[in-house]
Amino acid sequence: MTHPQATPTTAPATPYIVAENVCKAFGTHQVLKNVSTVFNTGEVTVIIGASGSGKSTLLRAINRLEPHDSGRIAIGGVEVTDDQRTLQQQRSEVGMVFQQFNLFGHLSVLDNVTLAPRRIHRTPRAEANEQALQLLRRVGLREHAHKYPWQLSGGQQQRVAIARALAMRPKVMLFDEPTSALDPEMVQEVLDVMRELARGGMTMIVVTHEMGFAREVADRVMFFDQGRIAHDAPPAEFFANPANDRIRAFIGRMGS
Amino acid sequence: MLTALWPRHWSRQQRSNATLVSALVLMVLALALLGQALSFLPDPIGPNAQAFAEGARTTLWLTLVSGFCGLLLGTGAALARTARWTPLRWAARFYIWVIRGTPLLVQILFVYFALPVLVPGLNLPDFAAAVVALGLNVGAYNSEAIRAGLLAVPRGQTEAARALGLSRTHVFFDVVFPQAFKISLPPLVSNFVALLKDSSLAYAIGVVELTNVGNRIQSATFQPIATLSTVAITYLLLTTLVTQVSNAIEHRFDVEGRAQ
Repeated sequence: MTHPQATPTTAPATPYIVAENVCKAFGTHQVLKNVSTVFNTGEVTVIIGASGSGKSTLLRAINRLEPHDSGRIAIGGVEVTDDQRTLQQQRSEVGMVFQQFNLFGHLSVLDNVTLAPRRIHRTPRAEANEQALQLLRRVGLREHAHKYPWQLSGGQQQRVAIARALAMRPKVMLFDEPTSALDPEMVQEVLDVMRELARGGMTMIVVTHEMGFAREVADRVMFFDQGRIAHDAPPAEFFANPANDRIRAFIGRMGS
Repeated sequence: MLTALWPRHWSRQQRSNATLVSALVLMVLALALLGQALSFLPDPIGPNAQAFAEGARTTLWLTLVSGFCGLLLGTGAALARTARWTPLRWAARFYIWVIRGTPLLVQILFVYFALPVLVPGLNLPDFAAAVVALGLNVGAYNSEAIRAGLLAVPRGQTEAARALGLSRTHVFFDVVFPQAFKISLPPLVSNFVALLKDSSLAYAIGVVELTNVGNRIQSATFQPIATLSTVAITYLLLTTLVTQVSNAIEHRFDVEGRAQ
């Protein structure tokens, strides 16, 4: 059912994140049921599905914000466990962007971006600032560097959050419904930044309801249903020939 | 009050720094010059001005030392209260339960009179005993203020920090604590001001602080109105200055401009 080799790349696909039989329950509710899949380097995967279907939980299990109950997740061949040193190393290579932005409210935009490199790589402040300003220019917020998060719009905050994650030079970026908390007119500015990232060859796993983005940017679209990967196909195939009625109905509801 | 004195075009940090510095300078000046100032007053106060000034210094010193201990203790107890290890949580709960459920005066008397009996060889002088009792007391109240602050920091903040790969120590000191501290600051200041006034109970074990001085002079001169008014006004002066310092700190942490 899965097509790990579906990416139309010329280079052979190298698996970067591997999930094998991952299970997770909240109380008696089984959120992930034996989820197995592979995310390859350079691939953009879009995960869609109804809320509560387990898509965000898989994302959060990858960097262990939500430890899985059984099964195995490996990043770059190293299993994700509770071992703090390995985990911190893995997390610093996996950038994450949240639905609610989660910028540090007591720090300026610049300090939000430089905190992790300064603490983890011990980058000197001047150098970290320089890199942060470059990243902020990339997301179009160079002139807002000295503001505080509350002074920015939702779309601007989310772009800062992306810059903050990029500051650790991650090998993969996880997006957990990055535009769901935004006003409609701010969705595009965030999607533009993500599109730019994908064009630059970043490995991305994106949980979203933006069907247009999935069609245009994804290398593969994964449909989650009741804790399982119900379908996994390249976007053209996924949208042209929905594999079953549930998917057809879902795509229809999302207005695509 | 002081924060409103500075030019409008100054930044928030400049204004809070100016307030902090001037409040501290005022406090030092007030303590240094209190003796001189009081010596100009008529009979029961003037001749005893130096004793009043000495008492005020003791009161402030007692408050600062036990307030500092209480801040450390409060932070520790708040962390223990939110720790994952159950015995630690229970120990913190027990400490807070005992301290908040018994009168401060009993605690002061206990440390001074009962502790040396319980722990032979531990004979604390009156000032040290007062510091221990007051520190333990304010620590329990501080811990609840700090715990409230810690719990008020949204979960998303720690998740974002952890997702960046920050170590637990950095997550705490760079992300959680600064935000929790800001939330805890107003109740912590209330506790500190209360401590300044409660330090008068150290009078019971013979610490020569402001209230003790006032009471002695009052009973020697039979002029209760003048002496006790002087004591009250000196307390008011000290608490006002302490509030100015804490306002400056609050202003400094107020990046969102909410308190303006």
